[in-house]
Amino acid sequence: MQIMLFSILFVSITITVYLTMNLLYFKYHKAFLIPILTTTVGIILILVLFNIPYETYMLGGMWVDLLLGPAIVSLAIPLYKQRELIKQNMFPILGGVLTGVLVGMISGVLFAKLMGFSKEIIFSLLPKSITTPIAIQIASALGGVTSLTIAFVMIAGFTGIILGPTFLKWFRIDTAIGRGIGLGAAAHALGTSKAIELGEQEASYSSVAMTLSAIIGSIVGPVMAWFFY
Amino acid sequence: MKYIKATLQIIALYGFVLIGNWLQDFLHLPLPGSIIGLLVLLVALSMKVFRLEWVESGSYFLLSYLPLYFIPATVGVMKYGHVFAGKGLLLIPITMISTFLTMWISSIISQFLANKSVKKEEVSCK
Repeated sequence: MQIMLFSILFVSITITVYLTMNLLYFKYHKAFLIPILTTTVGIILILVLFNIPYETYMLGGMWVDLLLGPAIVSLAIPLYKQRELIKQNMFPILGGVLTGVLVGMISGVLFAKLMGFSKEIIFSLLPKSITTPIAIQIASALGGVTSLTIAFVMIAGFTGIILGPTFLKWFRIDTAIGRGIGLGAAAHALGTSKAIELGEQEASYSSVAMTLSAIIGSIVGPVMAWFFY
Repeated sequence: MKYIKATLQIIALYGFVLIGNWLQDFLHLPLPGSIIGLLVLLVALSMKVFRLEWVESGSYFLLSYLPLYFIPATVGVMKYGHVFAGKGLLLIPITMISTFLTMWISSIISQFLANKSVKKEEVSCK
């Protein structure tokens, strides 16, 4: 009974905070007000303030989490509707995503190595541009700490959605394909949620990039690890 | 009625997650069930064995709230605050810079290759 009450309470809190933050974002439209960031900070503050452990929050959180699977499957719809466009651009997509995966892994590993971080941390960092469920698998196969990997994946995602659009403008990435591939390859599903805001073409390129980098990443990841150690 | 339809379609989409999970288990694939489900749905739509109308409105309803479903995972970061204390703080700019590089290179390469193939087409049209 208590568990059920907690579940309902935390689901309601999550949805209420999210919808409020969504309104705020659409009213002021500032990059740092992006709902996923403000909602995360808001809920962490509530949990810390009332001394609620994450595990208790997840009694409700798991129900929200349950929708992530069908939502990822839903990305097949914009992909299907834009299939002609994707077929025509298969070569640019593959080229962009493959280099993206390589650059993401090599640069992260190199920087962390230069700063003298342990092998365990470096392997947890390696798959940070890949969507969470696959990043976890890559990291654990290498001997990284999966919980740390989740944190890195989230930092990469937030960087992509908060600073990404400004950054893309800076470097004159003004085509749907450039923006979609950049967001999907660097910031996985979070980047794709931003790409949906930009347009249906961006959304489908981004989901292709996310899916492809997951597939490529799970093959390239172990090779990278072997190469560096 | 609209909501009943959307709910039924979301359940159907969840069915694809289950198919994906099952395939992952059965074939020992390195991909998560949801991504396999996405690919299965895509193949089913392309082969016309599954109709777009059966899931279209439900999927747009789900996708319009996509960031919401990440919240439980992002809130989980609160458990690892200690790793980013002291020297660990450097891991944040490292991740950010590496993310920038990834985004920059992948977007510029795909844009460059796409523009190049468009130009080629224009030339061959002449």
